[in-house]
Amino acid sequence: MAVVFGVSLAVFFLIRIGGDPSALFLPPEASMEEIARFRHLMGFDRPLVVQYFDFVSRAVQGDFGMSLRYEQPAMQLVLERVPATLQLSGMALALALAISIPLAILAAAWRGSIVDRVSLLISLIGQSFPAFWLAIMLILLFSETLHMLPASGKGGWQNLIMPAIVLATYSTAIITRLLRSSMIEVLQSDYIRTARGKGVSEGRIIFKHALRNAAIPTLTVIGLQVGALLGGAVITEEVFAYPGIGRLAIQAIANRDFTVVQAFVLVMAVTIVTVNLLVDLSYGLLDPRLRKGR
Amino acid sequence: MKHMLGRSFLIAALATTVACNLPLFAAAGEAGTLVVAQPADAYSMDPAKHSAFPTANILFQIYDGLITMDEKGELVAGLATSWSNPDPLTWRFKLREGVKFHNGEPFNAEAVKFTFDRALDPNFKAPYYSRISAIKSVEIVDEYTVDLKTEKPFPTMLLSLYEASFPALIVPPKYTQEKNGEALGSAPVGTGPYKFVKWLKDEEVVLEANPDYWGGTPKIDRVVFRPIKETRTRIAELKSGGADIAVDIPPEDVSSLQADGTKIETVASDFLYFLAFDTTRDTPLKDKRVRQAINYAVNVDAIQEALLNGMGNRIALTLPSNGFAYNPDWKPYPYDPAKAKELLAEAGYPDGFSIPLMTRKGRFLKDSEIVEATAGFLRKVGIKAEIQYLEPGVWGQISEKKGREGITFPGWSGRDPNLVWLPLLKTGQYQSYFSNAELDKLLDEGAATIDPAERKAIYEKAAAIIKDEAPHLPMIQPPLIYGLNAKLNWKPRTDSMIDLRKASFD
Repeated sequence: MAVVFGVSLAVFFLIRIGGDPSALFLPPEASMEEIARFRHLMGFDRPLVVQYFDFVSRAVQGDFGMSLRYEQPAMQLVLERVPATLQLSGMALALALAISIPLAILAAAWRGSIVDRVSLLISLIGQSFPAFWLAIMLILLFSETLHMLPASGKGGWQNLIMPAIVLATYSTAIITRLLRSSMIEVLQSDYIRTARGKGVSEGRIIFKHALRNAAIPTLTVIGLQVGALLGGAVITEEVFAYPGIGRLAIQAIANRDFTVVQAFVLVMAVTIVTVNLLVDLSYGLLDPRLRKGR
Repeated sequence: MKHMLGRSFLIAALATTVACNLPLFAAAGEAGTLVVAQPADAYSMDPAKHSAFPTANILFQIYDGLITMDEKGELVAGLATSWSNPDPLTWRFKLREGVKFHNGEPFNAEAVKFTFDRALDPNFKAPYYSRISAIKSVEIVDEYTVDLKTEKPFPTMLLSLYEASFPALIVPPKYTQEKNGEALGSAPVGTGPYKFVKWLKDEEVVLEANPDYWGGTPKIDRVVFRPIKETRTRIAELKSGGADIAVDIPPEDVSSLQADGTKIETVASDFLYFLAFDTTRDTPLKDKRVRQAINYAVNVDAIQEALLNGMGNRIALTLPSNGFAYNPDWKPYPYDPAKAKELLAEAGYPDGFSIPLMTRKGRFLKDSEIVEATAGFLRKVGIKAEIQYLEPGVWGQISEKKGREGITFPGWSGRDPNLVWLPLLKTGQYQSYFSNAELDKLLDEGAATIDPAERKAIYEKAAAIIKDEAPHLPMIQPPLIYGLNAKLNWKPRTDSMIDLRKASFD
């Protein structure tokens, strides 16, 4: 709660440093009197502190103000676009996990093998390719040249493929690398050696004993990746013209649509705080020792 | 190399999988559907509640104004059929009879009065209020005649009533008043060639042909506007058949697109690229000879050729070639760096000087490239232009304090000297950094005269002063460049508004 409040405070003042949007709204030939008149009508000529208390007192009642550009409540605009972004980030996360978990397990089990090298290569490439570049390359290949996938929009599941791949790339790389190294560490520990000595099968060692312990640091990173995915969606949505909250946020910032930026940041902050809480709680499910410790 | 191989293998593998499973997605251009890909979505469906051209492009298919612009760029009859000035403070319009809004409401004098009364109400907060604020009242003469009254003579009235003056699009009184005016913002009703079907925010706006359109049934059944900000994505949609008109194609992509069979349509816009000189502060720019020297020093033709593919229109004075009183005999200062140096020496700056050059980046087509090239030409005659890129909000703050120093690249548009020279050059105007008593007098006269012939004569005199005083370096009307489905017949307009009334497929 304190985090969310702090974020709202910071955003409120930061976005106003660059001036108010009156001049951006009016036609270029608008005179100084017209700009002053509009500013007064919109209430931007009041002291910032007064505007902030006005914002907070309304926000606690659930009123986040009207968008300055769209004739709609700001929070409604943001929430309307949440499902699209969740769908995209969810698919990207699923894709990232589906690739990274098996890859990391195989890489750890056969350390130094071809599989291991491929996993390292994917981690390296995935972390170093900028999302917008990868996005444009995919569009060039699949839309412009091969005519197989729509370049933009949100029609059917085809529209999700390229954005999800772009969005998943970085997370796949991070999760693969981390899970692989934690697995390797766990596989070298004493209790695994003991298990091997007792004749437990390799499969059971990897899935029952090693994976469970290696999962804890990985889970932390996955939790952080949810934030990264939502943040990464900003660029990805823009390139693929995907109607999610990221695209709304970019436009709102460019237009100085203060109320929408505030609503967007609040939603993001609440989401990230919630995900982190869920991750903390899930440690207990994976490791009984952590549960008893509480 | 190894990395690249790995990547292409991965992509190839993916491509095969996808290819085996995918039905081909629906292409544009089929069954009489026209898809327009432009950089932004609509903000509102209420014509008086927005200030953005992408929104206006959509709304102009739904609504009409009293006046419209034809293919030649002339202002002609729209919902009004004729007009006259019974006295210098009255514009009388005869309205088109038998026109109905999409919901069946009749179009008449009451609708015109309602439209302007609503948008002129200060509490309504119309962003483009200033375009119509000269109208003091609307009086109904009879069912199909209205008088627009002004406090002072208002010669540019027609430009304030055509579609690029957003709040002048006519709205239906009854429907607009229902639900506190909110219905219009989400489900618009106009008299235009297309009726509203649906609006999925940030995704698409769908319109269908209005068979009863007073200007004739449109030839294309359905129109879809899609917001795609990223230029490469718009081009990809165009090339893959997902869009029939892609707005804002970069000049460097034109030849490769044409080679691929894409049709390119381009026109010089009404917009004006020019350098403005601050003559209000004590700098070398106060001296007329220095301002003339800068006009001689920059090779604008070379800049246009290199950065805009030669597209657009070189201007002699800050007025577009389709502007009122424009004279084709006007010639810009020729490129003559030797003459520039001579003038600088005469003015007492044989070794040149340093001066700030303030501009914004990425606001207009190739703006920063043009500014940098200009600074290069200035350096050759000894003028060190120190380029400062300002963020749009900061630019606005500085402008409000009249703080634009040195040389600026502000950009402007307007099709009448009263809309360009008066705000930019008359003493004390918000955007003006220049003062000349004789010019002020002429600009005031032009603003108070209705008779076109008299006005032309006044502005011809003003043009001579502006040429000699050189408060600007007039450069280019930049091009508007559109990529089109090769089967589509459609022509762009200088004001960048998209008009689909005459569009058709082969």
